[in-house]
Amino acid sequence: MTEERFWSLLSARLANEATPEELAELETYLKENPAAQSRTGAIENIWSVNPSISDDYKEAAFNKHLQRMSNHFSEPVLQYESDLPEEQVELKVAKKKPVFRIMAWITAAAAVAVLGYFTYCYFPFTSAKNSNALAQNTVSTKRGSKSKIQLPDGTQVWLNADSKITYNENFQGKIREVQLSGEAFFDVVHDEERPFVIHTSVIDVKVLGTAFNVRSYADEKNTETSLIRGSVEITLRNNPDKKIVLKPNDKLIVDNDEAKAETASPDVVRMPHHDRPSLLTLGKVNFKENQTTALETLWIKNTLAFDKESLEEIALKIERWYDVKVSIPDTRIRRTEYSGVFEDEDLEQVMEALRISGNFHYDINKKEITIRP
Amino acid sequence: MPETATIETLQQRIALYEDMNAYKELYYQLFDGLHRFSFSIVRSKEVAEEIVSDVFIKIWQIRARLGEIGNLKVYVYTITKNFSLNYLQRTYKNAPVSIEEVEVEVGIEMRNPEELFISSEIMQTIRQAIMQLPPQCRLVFQLVKEDGLKYKEAAEVLNISALTVRNQLAIAIRKLGETLPAPVQKLIPSAKLFSAS
Repeated sequence: MTEERFWSLLSARLANEATPEELAELETYLKENPAAQSRTGAIENIWSVNPSISDDYKEAAFNKHLQRMSNHFSEPVLQYESDLPEEQVELKVAKKKPVFRIMAWITAAAAVAVLGYFTYCYFPFTSAKNSNALAQNTVSTKRGSKSKIQLPDGTQVWLNADSKITYNENFQGKIREVQLSGEAFFDVVHDEERPFVIHTSVIDVKVLGTAFNVRSYADEKNTETSLIRGSVEITLRNNPDKKIVLKPNDKLIVDNDEAKAETASPDVVRMPHHDRPSLLTLGKVNFKENQTTALETLWIKNTLAFDKESLEEIALKIERWYDVKVSIPDTRIRRTEYSGVFEDEDLEQVMEALRISGNFHYDINKKEITIRP
Repeated sequence: MPETATIETLQQRIALYEDMNAYKELYYQLFDGLHRFSFSIVRSKEVAEEIVSDVFIKIWQIRARLGEIGNLKVYVYTITKNFSLNYLQRTYKNAPVSIEEVEVEVGIEMRNPEELFISSEIMQTIRQAIMQLPPQCRLVFQLVKEDGLKYKEAAEVLNISALTVRNQLAIAIRKLGETLPAPVQKLIPSAKLFSAS
């Protein structure tokens, strides 16, 4: 073997790039040449020594990096603010400026949308800090109005009509928890050390990544979670062992009645039954043609949207949206399905559009609407 | 290769979930190598650090499409090279436009030679041996040995053939072997001597 061949084989072996034939060739040569053998050992030892920068240095470098990145991305990604009716803000909590943190830049990237409607106005926290008699802040909105608040960690929350959000005043725990009754859009400040958890009547939503919607109408059959991007982990309140992690564009539908019947006890085996609706259904987030915003989050842009929804379901939405009462005495027309997107339109415009496509009649008497065939 | 798998996992976690933990881990994993590589070109620790930072800003900017990058390691080394060359061009007149023209500076640094049963004199000898290598040879040695790049990967980053990488590495190893003084073998515990490569 030539010197050149030897070094080529040896270096290939060190680099983990030698073929089995080359390895065999080198082995044979080394057995016959003890001098080369010991030299090889020494080189192997040098090879295995790897320079490394201390973790402290890396930590400092990474923090510096985040700071630079923060300056780089000073523009917020989400610009919903201008679309929202600011004059409707009716706050009882003082807006606190969030303490500047190195991770603050992630705010822009970490947008979380949550929609929810609940029967219960109060859901006890599940964490161990239950008993803490901490002062709680509550912000609520009336029907027909919207509101925007900033949580102590900098997280922004838009509250839709007839909604309420409650959180501990100092918001300093290991978990950032909020209770929601109603409908809200969250723009969560990313903090990997302190997860953000939204408690609803049926599910808890833990924010692992960024943007998602929860829609949990108390007067609807299902609670829906639609992930726009990032990652969320959902647990059933009555069975915390059931965990579902969503991928972007996944939509999880939880049957409210089934979820409430769910139990954490392993002794109770619930047989699947064809008459019974399935507890969990995984689907996809709904994007309409030419729309960059998912149908599930359009409300934040002051857009009322229906997608193949029954007149009965639409009536509920209209009631909350316009603070009116809708009645449909004739049960036959309640099931007819409609789709439509209404941007910034008033009640009459929406009703008129529905009437034309639906072939029904309606009367508006102050705050009461009656729909007839 | 488990390391590559890890980088791929981190890559996916960042792409799918904008996972900051994964992003930080990726930074920690790649910082050494990228910093060293950039330093070889720009010869300033501070500048190299900023270049690595720029590379990671870039990674964050393209996070949504990160999953589409076949070999992230090659990608980040390549942009580190480009950013470093750009820096030289911005900063100096008659700056080299390609890596072949750069008088690379490769320092092999050991955090704690005592721990590794290698005396500082021997370290000094090794360092000198490496410093005497031609620039391209030094970079190949660094990328393959220190940063664990495959021949093909180093070849892609340096814009040379995989065969050239193999030959350059053989030259470096030979030089190292020839400079290594005989007593070194006694300083190294036998258990370490025949540890798997």
